[in-house]
Amino acid sequence: MRQIVFKLRDGALRSGAAEVPVDVSPLTPDKLFGEGEDEIKSTKVWWGNRQENVERIFEVSVSGDASSAEEVKVVFEGELRKVKRIGYEMSAGEIVAEGSVGMHCGARMRGGRITVNGSADCWAGCEMHGGTLIIEGDAGDNLCACYRGETTGMTGGTVVVKGNAGECIAQYMAGGEITVRGNADMLAGLDMKGGKIVIEGDAVMPGANMSGGEIIVKGKVIDMMPSFKYEETVTIDGEEYKKYRGDFAIGEKKAKGTLLIRS
Amino acid sequence: MAVYTDVLCPFCGCICDDIVVEVGEDGKITKVRGACAIGRSKIMGHDRMESPAIREDGELRDCSYDEAIKRAAEILADARRPLLYGWSSTVCETDRVGVELAVEIGAIIDNTASVCHGPSILAIQDVGLPSCTLGQIRNRADIVIYWGSNPVFAHPNHMKRYSYLSKGRFTPGGKKDRKMVVVDVRETKSAKLADLFVKVRPGGDFLVFSALRAILQGHEDVVPDEVAGVEKKDLLSLAEMIKNANFIITFFGMGVTHSGARHNNIVNAIEFTRAAHLHTKATIMPMRGHYNVNGFNQVCTWLLGYPFSIDLSQGYPWYNPGETGAVDVLVHGECDAALIISSDPASHFPADAVRHLARIPVIQIDPYPNPTTEFADVVIPSAICGVEAEGSVYRMDSVPLRVRKIVDSKFMADEEIIRRILEEVRAIKEKEGE
Amino acid sequence: MAELLIKNGVVFDPINGVKGEKMDICIRDGKIVESLHDEHSAKVIDASGCVVMPGGVDAHAHIAGGKVNAGRLLRPEDGRRGLEPKRGVCKPCTGYSVPNTWATGYRYAKMGYTFVMEPAMPPLTARHTHEELVDTPIIDKAALPLIDNNWMTLQYVRDENYEMLSAYVAWMIRATRGYGIKIVNPGGTEAWGFAKNCGLDDPVPHWDVTPADIIRALAHANERYEMPHSIHVHGNMLGHPGNYETTLRTFDVVKGISASMQRQTMHTTHIQFFCYGGTSWKDFESKADEIAKYVNENEHITIDLGSIILGDTTTMTADGPMEYTLYRLTGRKWTNHDVELETGAGIVPFLYSSRNPVHSVQWTIGLELALLLKNPWKVVLSTDHPNAGPFIGYPILISMLMSKKRRDEVMKEVHPAVFDRSSLASIDRELDFHEIAIITRASAAKILGLHNHGKGHLGVGADADVAIYGISHEESDAGAVQRAFLNAKYTIKRGEIVVKDGEIVATPEGRTFYVEPECEESLMNEVMKDIERMFKEYYTVSLSNYPVQDVYTPHPYVIRAPMSG
Repeated sequence: MRQIVFKLRDGALRSGAAEVPVDVSPLTPDKLFGEGEDEIKSTKVWWGNRQENVERIFEVSVSGDASSAEEVKVVFEGELRKVKRIGYEMSAGEIVAEGSVGMHCGARMRGGRITVNGSADCWAGCEMHGGTLIIEGDAGDNLCACYRGETTGMTGGTVVVKGNAGECIAQYMAGGEITVRGNADMLAGLDMKGGKIVIEGDAVMPGANMSGGEIIVKGKVIDMMPSFKYEETVTIDGEEYKKYRGDFAIGEKKAKGTLLIRS
Repeated sequence: MAVYTDVLCPFCGCICDDIVVEVGEDGKITKVRGACAIGRSKIMGHDRMESPAIREDGELRDCSYDEAIKRAAEILADARRPLLYGWSSTVCETDRVGVELAVEIGAIIDNTASVCHGPSILAIQDVGLPSCTLGQIRNRADIVIYWGSNPVFAHPNHMKRYSYLSKGRFTPGGKKDRKMVVVDVRETKSAKLADLFVKVRPGGDFLVFSALRAILQGHEDVVPDEVAGVEKKDLLSLAEMIKNANFIITFFGMGVTHSGARHNNIVNAIEFTRAAHLHTKATIMPMRGHYNVNGFNQVCTWLLGYPFSIDLSQGYPWYNPGETGAVDVLVHGECDAALIISSDPASHFPADAVRHLARIPVIQIDPYPNPTTEFADVVIPSAICGVEAEGSVYRMDSVPLRVRKIVDSKFMADEEIIRRILEEVRAIKEKEGE
Repeated sequence: MAELLIKNGVVFDPINGVKGEKMDICIRDGKIVESLHDEHSAKVIDASGCVVMPGGVDAHAHIAGGKVNAGRLLRPEDGRRGLEPKRGVCKPCTGYSVPNTWATGYRYAKMGYTFVMEPAMPPLTARHTHEELVDTPIIDKAALPLIDNNWMTLQYVRDENYEMLSAYVAWMIRATRGYGIKIVNPGGTEAWGFAKNCGLDDPVPHWDVTPADIIRALAHANERYEMPHSIHVHGNMLGHPGNYETTLRTFDVVKGISASMQRQTMHTTHIQFFCYGGTSWKDFESKADEIAKYVNENEHITIDLGSIILGDTTTMTADGPMEYTLYRLTGRKWTNHDVELETGAGIVPFLYSSRNPVHSVQWTIGLELALLLKNPWKVVLSTDHPNAGPFIGYPILISMLMSKKRRDEVMKEVHPAVFDRSSLASIDRELDFHEIAIITRASAAKILGLHNHGKGHLGVGADADVAIYGISHEESDAGAVQRAFLNAKYTIKRGEIVVKDGEIVATPEGRTFYVEPECEESLMNEVMKDIERMFKEYYTVSLSNYPVQDVYTPHPYVIRAPMSG
């Protein structure tokens, strides 16, 4: 396995009184696979409105070999909250972030695995197509959702958030599976058309405008949608759930979403 | 004395254009007729900043336009994540040069929409906007709904010129030919004039819209007896009113854009309009605040493809409100310099954003001092658009108009100030390139 | 001043009868000249092995104005599809089907186009159209104001007061700095003000006139002046199965009306959308052959294709009711914008899919028309950008019109319905470079009357707008043709090289062309009384704030249109 460690230098992102974010989208296992140490160290990254050598911002250490991108592991260390686009469009390999990360972590990823040992800022897993994303802490708003104007969001992959999730997660979801161990803020599964979301804590107005897919809420539902229809009570893994069909606000023909709320 | 007729008022999104302005021998405005109180106050003018200034040792020191512009250019050329914010109370000509400046320095450019009707724009990008110009309302609308909007307070001439009280071709009886509905969290002055007032629990608008949509599509059986403080029977009678109408319009304001589900409230309001359209002509329109907030959105969209909150740092427009808005980059402490033009973030932004703004170099361009001036590092007074400088503006319904220059002034126009800053920045960069 | 010599190119200049001759083009001070003063100091372009044509002229593309911008706003996702960072002299570009104004100018110039007509300008928002046109670099442009659903038009047509109508039309064209008369779903868009629509011979609700009456009256009004262009018509029933019959009847509406200039009496636009047979989407079929037959047998009609480019695009027209139907059909996001007393607009994203039988047949129709029409001077290549597809798809259409082989390849990839519901498979004809030069520049110039104003040809005195394509005149490979027409080797605009090797090297500002019809003063005074009343009683802006001011045409080119003799 080839391991590439990027450790953010102290104060590297400071500009006057500001901390300017850095965009690390070029630093994925598949993009760095096959590159020598010098090449890796001179990769350009955008820091604000100028491009810099990655070495100016991160201490870089490289070890081991890989015969494919699958065997490459990229590790981010240091204060990562202003590090954006970790794992962006990643297709293979592994990324581990030792700390809470900036926006767009794992956005548009197609394969491979990302583990965030902390929380993830907004738009994590946005428009995800495949792969695995594990967030040990909380996720921000728009987890696994889509960028402005799109009408298809996540289409595949597996995401686990061990803490809470923000607003509008999985908007326009079409496939894949998301588990939130904590609570989800308002409008989880907005405009959902496929796929599965499990919220082990509470949810606010889940499933608005759903036309397909399944949302399971094990905690409480706050502000239940007035346009969902109770169908029956079912048993899943020995527990009772009330099953609802929705969202009738979009009309009966299209309302093929399923919302299961634990009794 | 000179009398100017059909003057356009440069205050709110109504842009009333039948104002009469009288100017005395000394070239000062003496009288304004036909405008509402706020418009009249804007046109008459009040105490303003007299000279460009640069802050040194904590105090503003008067200087020339040239000095101030040079200092501003130095700050912006050097910055790694500069913000250019405001724009809504200046003309499109200024906005255009502002966009060029943002492209040149790789800045974030944003206008007041991001704290005002930005959510409405996000909603349009999700579902579109079935709308029209204000004259369609005047001539055709028999049901006028104000939802989360209080026009008596914020757009005083709106009802008289464009909606409930106006007379048109198919509505010659004015308010006799129309019904007005107000939906709000409390009984406002506008609500008192309405034929029907619906009181909604704060933050509950989203649920009410969904319920109405279900009812309008024939699924009233699904809807519970009470939704967000509104009784089902009232929802049913509102739906009946809509079904029997010829033309309904929903005007909406800050009451729904910034509470509860925010931009998703507006998505739902638009989807409610589409559900109503199954039965009758149904339209919806945001009550834009500043007179040229829309104008900036228009210019930005045709030049950069997106309406506001644009990050040009990587050489192409990246649009992502929530990440690239002025409040976003300030609250996150990301931006290292700011140019504030014709707006007052110190008064309107969240405390965290203002705190960061106070820590970084700030250039302010405005005719009037305001709380932002308290910590601005460079202050450049400008001519008042619509009074001392002419230019393009876009009304709340996107009708393009041209505000006029009525009197001369010693102050430089916004457009020229920005253009000179851009030229200075280019000169600095050329020198650096050597 | 600056002289430029284009040597050794194979020139296609149909208006001047040049059909692929090796010849030199001499340019001085932005114009084509007979010969150079000083060959030694002139800049020389060696166009050996290249095809040389006048700069392209697009008679119909929605590039500027309220609904175009509403389309951009509606589709940030389309914006992300065409992102290009700033580079050299180029500002950043966004958009694929709804590009920003910078991208519009650059991409047209790279295709060798130098003039574009914005075909639908609501008069009340004309300022907006002009602002965007001014911000569209390089190309020259003009815009057509919509004058067919206006209350004053409807009133005069109802009263059969054609004199006043012609004065109103003159006033409108001048007030909006427009180029002529645009007609879109006449009567129908007015009816849409109350969510209704109407067909060619139905009475417009609240008005005692039919769309046919409106078209006829406006044709008469247009021909009262020496207008460079005829009425430009998007008829009723666009997009409806079976609408071809309405189309043929629409053609007949103006038959017998003489044009005031040597040109057509009616230009019918994006006619592909009006060539539909069948009674529903199930038995939908192409009737391009019927439409082509009529146009072949009559001299008063010209068309532009509105040919489909498969893939995602954005529909946007003043045909409000049609766009609503499209929204209901597809469930996609929908913007509507009715303009008081005048017109409307609707915008809906749309995906033309090769797997869909209806879309596939639609796709054949634009090509059928171009190949079945015997006289290429009656045809302009277009996609009704962006309705049938984005303008950067023109090279795809060119390559298919020139190559039966390419057409057959694509037909195998689309839905097999194209073999029963269209005649495209049976057409062997391939257009040559001369015919392509006609339908992408010369015909449009004549149809718009611009050939008298320096466009569409390379004769002495013409604007030095030249496109040099890096392709041999003997090339037959469709792929090579497509690539060559997408990125010109050189594009010259008024004598300045703006594109070199497919890259933008200069971004001069283009000019806005507009027409000033000259109406008698007494008639104009009469019509002003009615106009004043309209503003007082119905409009929400003051009359004095309505007309487009000088500042919006900083580089004007004005064409006078005196009353016809």
